[in-house]
This record gives sequence, C-alpha cells and structure tokens, in this order.
Amino acid sequence: MSVLGYSTGAIALGDFSRAITLLSNYAFGAIELSALRVGEVAPLIDALPTLDLSRYSYISFHAPSFFEADEEGMLIRLLNILPDSWPIVLHPDAIHDPSLWEHLAPRLAIENMDRRKGTGRSADELADFFTILPAAKMCLDLGHARQVDSSMVGAYQLLRAFGDRIVQLHVSEVDTFNRHDLISRAAEIAFCQIRQFIPPSAAVILESRVQESEIQSEAEKVWKILHGDADFFRAESFLSQA
Amino acid sequence: MTEAHGVEELEKRYGSDWQFLAAARARGEHQSRRLADACRSLVPPDTSLVVFGSLARKEFTEGSDIDWTLLVDGITIPEHAMIARKIGEKLDELESKPPGRTGTFGNIASSHNLIHFIGGEDDTNGNTTRRSLLLLEAKAIGDLAAFTRVRNNILKRFLEEDLGLWRRSTLTKVPHFLLNDFARYWRTMTVDFADKQHDRFHDGFALRNIKLRFSRKLMYISGLLACFRCQLDYPDLEARLDFFDRENSVAVTDHVRRSLDKTPLDSLADTLDRYVEKPAAIRALFDAYDGFMGILSDSDKRARLERLAPKDLASDPIYKDAREISHVFADAVETIFLTADNPVGKLTIRYGVF
Repeated sequence: MSVLGYSTGAIALGDFSRAITLLSNYAFGAIELSALRVGEVAPLIDALPTLDLSRYSYISFHAPSFFEADEEGMLIRLLNILPDSWPIVLHPDAIHDPSLWEHLAPRLAIENMDRRKGTGRSADELADFFTILPAAKMCLDLGHARQVDSSMVGAYQLLRAFGDRIVQLHVSEVDTFNRHDLISRAAEIAFCQIRQFIPPSAAVILESRVQESEIQSEAEKVWKILHGDADFFRAESFLSQA
Repeated sequence: MTEAHGVEELEKRYGSDWQFLAAARARGEHQSRRLADACRSLVPPDTSLVVFGSLARKEFTEGSDIDWTLLVDGITIPEHAMIARKIGEKLDELESKPPGRTGTFGNIASSHNLIHFIGGEDDTNGNTTRRSLLLLEAKAIGDLAAFTRVRNNILKRFLEEDLGLWRRSTLTKVPHFLLNDFARYWRTMTVDFADKQHDRFHDGFALRNIKLRFSRKLMYISGLLACFRCQLDYPDLEARLDFFDRENSVAVTDHVRRSLDKTPLDSLADTLDRYVEKPAAIRALFDAYDGFMGILSDSDKRARLERLAPKDLASDPIYKDAREISHVFADAVETIFLTADNPVGKLTIRYGVF
C-alpha cells in the first residue's frame, strides 16, 4: 500500500480543523477530509485555502453519506470546486439521480456499504453502480466488507471484481451498531487474509475512532496488518520533528 | 475459465427437450418470487429466509413442499420465534405444502451450531442436515447477506482445517474434510430413509425411494463435484500448488463456493460438459432426470406414489416406470463416475468411496 493516513472524521468528528491540527504532529502521507453531513461541505471547501495540506501526497474528500434529492445538484456543484486530483468518496445508496454524477464519475470512489444498507454491500450489488457510472473508481471499506461477510470471501470478491478501480481503503473495526472502532484481534486476522489481493497503489485511510494517544499505535497496527511487518513503518516514523 | 455451462446450454447442444426440467425451473423461479414478495417485510437484519430442497434446486412441481428456515447470524432476540411463525403463516396463505415432519425445517436455525458443531457429539442429525443442505441445495429468499456469510464461514472452516489441502507435497487437491461430510450426509439420508420406513409404516415409501434414487443421489454428486473441481480446474501442477496456498484460503473458499452456488443439476451439467467426453451417457443421465421430473410433475402419479403400499410396489406401473428410469440414471452415473476413463471417474473411484 502506497501511503497511509486518517480520515479527519475519525480524529475529530465534524471538526476538520482540529483533526488536521492533531494530524500535523505525524508524518502521514495521506488524509481524507470528511464532510459526512451536507452542512459540513461548504465550510470545509471555504476553508481549503487556509489549510496546510502540503505534507500529503494523497488527499481524498468524503462526500456526505446522506442528502435529499433537491440538495444533490448543489452538492455536486460544491464538489466540482475540489482539485481534480482528489478522489471523492461517495456512498452509492446516497445517490438519487446517477445521471447528475456522470461528469464527476472519474473522480468518484464509490464505497462498499455496511450491512444496514440494502444495496452496495457485495460485489454483485456494487456492480449495478459501476454499470451506471462506469468511469467511477472505488473505495474498499474493509470494516464494512468484514461486517457484511466475516469470512472475508465477500471482500475477496470485491477485490477480484473491482481491484483495478480501487484507489483507497477504509480501515477500521465496524461493530454491531455500525460504529467505527479500534481494530480488534479478530479483524486483524480477517484483514490479513486478503492483504495480498489489495492493489499496491491503494492509499490507506483509517476510520478507527481514536483518542489522540492512540493515533500512532492504531496506524502501526494497520500497517503491520497490511504489510506483515511494522518495522518498516517504525523506521519511517509517523512522528514529525515537531 | 470460460462462462459456466448449465442445463439449458447442454440441452441445446444435444438437441434435447428436457421439458419437465424447464417447467420445474420456471415454476421454482415463480414460487421464489411469490415467497420473496410475501415475506420481504418479515425478515429482520442479520437473518435470511432460506429455502431448501426442490425450490432451491429449481425442480419445483405442483406437489412440492417448501422446506425453509429463518437463519439467524447475529444478535438473537425472542422475536425471531414469532417472526418464524409469521413466515409459516405467510406460506400457508400462499397455499404451499408445509415442510416435512422431522422438525428440521419451518423454524429458526442459528449460525453458531452450523459453523462450530461439525462432527462430534454436538453435531446432531438435524444440524448435519441443515449444514449439508445449506451448502448443497439452499437458496436465500430476499436479502441473502446472512445466508452468504454463514455459508462462506462453514466452507472456510472445512477448507482451512483441512491440513492436507494446503500441504505442498499433496499434489492432488481434493478437500477431504468437506468431501467426507458430504459422503456422511449421503449415507445419513439413506439410513434415515430406512428409519422413516420404520417410523411411518411405509407411508410415502415409494416417493421417498424414487427421490433417493434421483434428487438425493444428485445432491451427493454435486457435493463430490464441488470438491473435485479444486483439482480439475487447476490441471497445471505448479499453478495448482500455488493456488492452494494457505495465504490464499479466501480465494480457495470462493472457488468452492462458486461450484456450490449452482443448482446441483447445473453443477453437474457444467462439470460433465467441461471434463467428460461421454455424450451418450450424459444425455441418458439428463433424459432420465427429466423423466423423473415428469413423474413428480404429474399430480396423479405423484399422489399414487405417495400412497403406494410396499406390497403393491412390484405390480404398480407408475412405480415400475419410475424404477426403470432410475436404473437408466444409475447406469449413466456408473458409466461416468465409476469408470477410470475420464477425470471425474478417476477422482470418484479414488476419493468417492473409500
């Protein structure tokens, strides 16, 4: 996996500014700017010129997980403002009118869903969305995939079907109540079983809801899971000179 | 690998007309849709409504019953029992024939027992039956997430705990743990056939006997084939040894799952079409099975077989006819599976019996 980092929502839900400040103490190469509610999108985009994101070689933007049909056009106009190189993570079940997203499709990273959702969970279900938006990329959420099929066969099927579309991963434990949590030992074992199928170019974005003191240890854990060796990661060190 | 070959493709290639199979397939799909519409709002998260038997095999006829279970994989709540009762009532409203009397179906099944109790004292006859059927002839109606998850986890257990499968010095890749469980279930069915005869004083004997000769045997065949495809689909030794690496266990599980996802007849058609060059025997096998479906599709014949007393078996023309067709089926099975002139036969002789 090329670069690793956190979603701002995992560090400080709804407070991207605080999350970016906290993450600036580490040497992560990737970050996901999270605006899970419609009301968070405009303030985040307005603040972009003031944010120092220069340290990140991979930046993505998580679009709201829910919006009304009459908000869809406005949201797409806002997302269009984002730099072309930033993948936009989108929940497939949030889409009302796929035709409105066509021109943004090459920048979209459609995410596989958790088990609450009636669609977008499995390879078969996601295939419908990629038929509608063939240019779209994918964000593989390992926690969701494991929650939907704990055998990880479902995750393997997603990787097999859409490996060439996957630009980033979401990594976290997803509990019974669909909350993103610290990765458990069982999840570690599960994720290890599919690491060899993950495209090496995919960026890794942690969604584990961590305390400040857990930022590094959780990231080391994920690196070890996905690479089988934490030493390399330690050598690179997340801690900046600051 | 090229696209899957199914019964319909085989029928076209042979210029056959397996009309009873086609009708049963259409009827099964129609009934599945009715069931899905009726029960959609009843099935809660972390559960799947699973049907077994002829409906799952797409061999559904007018007289077929619906064997089903509410499969729970997640937090268990008391309301599951009430939901299972409601599903039963919905099926009554659809005027479906109720499940059999053994108590194996028409209720709740928990994933825990299915995944953790394989072999040993806790693996009851009912548990073995549910697990085997879940792998060999089951279908989720509506949301299939829980069904898929449980099935994959059962398969994964069978495969990951099969030490020989991952050993590089084992050159032939046939998952023994799984195969032995399928073989055990086939023999269990045959023993339970005798037990039912004992318990029910020959009630339904003739129909059960014919089913044993066809659909039950077919189920075992499809289980064998799912295991054999591990070997057959990887003819190159190095590629096979590389694929059956423990690091690759989810891919191997997915490979076996794809075989088991097909109906037993489609799995048979696909494998024979790919690996066995015996058109006469293959055609005879499917002709015979179509004949079996023809008998089951005829309400009068089916009812007669259900009522037939053992003392009348020898003289009854319907039973005699069914028995003769079953001999054609058995001969074709023997020609394909118990002769060493084809790869499926070789594997059956080597692994299917001893």
